Amino acid sequence: MESLRDIRQNIKAIRSTQQIMQTMKMISNARIRKAQEAMDNARPFAKKMLEMVADLKQEVLALPQETQDRESWASRLFVNKTGDENKIALVVITGDKGLCGSFNAVLLRAAVAFLKENQGKEISVFCIGKKGKDFISRLRHKNIRIVYESVGIFPKVEYVHAELLGEAILKEYFEKNLSSVTLLYNDFKSMGSQRLAQTKILPFAVDTEIKTADEHEFLFEPGIKEIFKILVPRLIKANMFRVLLESQAANLAATMNAMDAASKNAGEIADALGVKLNKVRQTGITNEILDIVNGAEALNG
Amino acid sequence: MAKTLQLNLITPQKQLLNAVAVDFVALPALEGELGVLPGHIPMIVQLGYGSLRYKQDGKEEEFAVLGGFAEILHESVNVFAEGAGLADEIDEEEEKQKIKRAKESLSKKDADIDFELAEIEIKQALTRMKVKKRHLG
Repeated sequence: MESLRDIRQNIKAIRSTQQIMQTMKMISNARIRKAQEAMDNARPFAKKMLEMVADLKQEVLALPQETQDRESWASRLFVNKTGDENKIALVVITGDKGLCGSFNAVLLRAAVAFLKENQGKEISVFCIGKKGKDFISRLRHKNIRIVYESVGIFPKVEYVHAELLGEAILKEYFEKNLSSVTLLYNDFKSMGSQRLAQTKILPFAVDTEIKTADEHEFLFEPGIKEIFKILVPRLIKANMFRVLLESQAANLAATMNAMDAASKNAGEIADALGVKLNKVRQTGITNEILDIVNGAEALNG
Repeated sequence: MAKTLQLNLITPQKQLLNAVAVDFVALPALEGELGVLPGHIPMIVQLGYGSLRYKQDGKEEEFAVLGGFAEILHESVNVFAEGAGLADEIDEEEEKQKIKRAKESLSKKDADIDFELAEIEIKQALTRMKVKKRHLG
């Protein structure tokens, strides 16, 4: 039987943990509104930009190729016939901290599945978030290389972060002649749920078939190549920005839910311990009374 | 043919205008101002720093635009700006302060300072002030 003091101490510890969790929940709650707003604001830019690039795909593919056997810079972004099949890249966006339920675990499991699937290929990994970085760097596989890492940007993602990431991805894509770039992140679906999203961001998977009815012939000012050279990085950055904001909001939501559940559990345990405490105390009192009564009877007897 | 243009003005951070029906838009293209009326030939233009004006029912609104792109279609104009702000909301004092700070950091000649960034900052602030002045007439 535990002593009264042990139980009291136990309850106190649990209550204070609960308080911390409740505070964490409240912090996430306050931040999430801002994060959600930023995310909603960033969505249209990325979406419209993709639509525009879809409009332009035909024009770019119709461009004369720079040389016979090498694909042009622009068409590599769409078709990418010349990329090295054995070189790919993975972008993993995790959180910096734990205490957010299965948020990171789900991502890392998917990352491992992806890496296994592509065994034997050279994989360049872009890590955003401490959890992903720590995990991937522990793998120590000769074919897996971390080429870019960014830690501690959540929960204050700015456009600059997206710019740096976008530039790094494009650079790697062209310099290392990658065949594709895959992105893994948690999509913000609602406050209650996040969805794991895995998409190929390069080459662009734009569907031109839909647009054929409304075929435009564009004029370009200055020229199509100049426009495209600036437009593509911009598009990737805008998209990265959106994705970073999505995972930021998703991470906060996950933290909030996890902390909510945890503080509820803590409350239940503390309540149960309270009952136990009362029982133990009552038993003690009963025993003492019995002692006294017994003693009195023995004297009287 | 539509009589109005749907104007969208979007920055990476925010959608400033969402499908506003306008009669006329002037865009700050790299090589000078480009006026767009409904039924314009489809076009992609790169934007410089300058002012974006549009007319809606005779009223004119003005934004400062800091680089980006515009996609012009027959019935709509999508402006993807790096940065943008409504002319009325530009605070000249604030811009002056920004220029002062940027110039100060330029004059320090410290190796750590990003000169390009400071110059861009000055250019942006000047553009905003110019747009504001013009807007006030």
